[in-house]
Amino acid sequence: MRAIGKGSLSSILAVGLHVTRIILFIALFGLSIAMIFMPLIGAAGALFSGSDNIDISVGRSDYFDVAYNFIAVLVMLYVVTRLLEILKTLRFGSPFVKENADRFRQVGYALLIGEGAKFVFSFLGLIFGTDIDIDIELIAWLAIIAVFVLSEVFTEGARMKEEQDLTV
Amino acid sequence: MGISVKLDRVLLDRGMSLTELSERVGVTIANLSVLKTGKAKAIRFSTLEAICKELDCQPGDILFFEDEAAAVNAAE
Repeated sequence: MRAIGKGSLSSILAVGLHVTRIILFIALFGLSIAMIFMPLIGAAGALFSGSDNIDISVGRSDYFDVAYNFIAVLVMLYVVTRLLEILKTLRFGSPFVKENADRFRQVGYALLIGEGAKFVFSFLGLIFGTDIDIDIELIAWLAIIAVFVLSEVFTEGARMKEEQDLTV
Repeated sequence: MGISVKLDRVLLDRGMSLTELSERVGVTIANLSVLKTGKAKAIRFSTLEAICKELDCQPGDILFFEDEAAAVNAAE
């Protein structure tokens, strides 16, 4: 399979990432609306608490869920955007640049923040006694390490490319 | 870097332009400019050989070593 051009893996990935980005934007919009209206829904729930037919109570775990998902979607959006930028440089035929090494490092930090948020929300869940269900995944941590290793590889690759370009 | 390139001086001595040298050695003007301006990080033996052959000179006529640390110390 070709690396660049029509029908290449990078172009397929780019299409997939563009679609993912649109979905994430919609999710972020939805979560923003939820964050704004959740207190109102909570208030309405308290108002109708006497009625048997209506159950629109908003608990503490719902706030945690929305807040955590908001951060997760933000992280994913950031990662997808950086990956699209990396793929763009690949399409232009120059992926081994220092900027891409920095982008990979930023992706690593973003994923680290995402996983860190999991810990924070798990901890807060324990403190406030909410039933928030967040798993700590070893594979995710290995993926973060892999991204940082990739970043170092790209740093060295960019240095070698520069040396190659400046070899007469 | 401690190595400086004096290609322009040799070219001047030989009365040859960079374009002419480029055509003779088969290296692009852009690459020769990189070499001339001291931006090059490395030079291939084949390039050096071709340049020396066309300019009828030795590698030492083009490349010089300058001890930057010693120069700084001397200035201080």
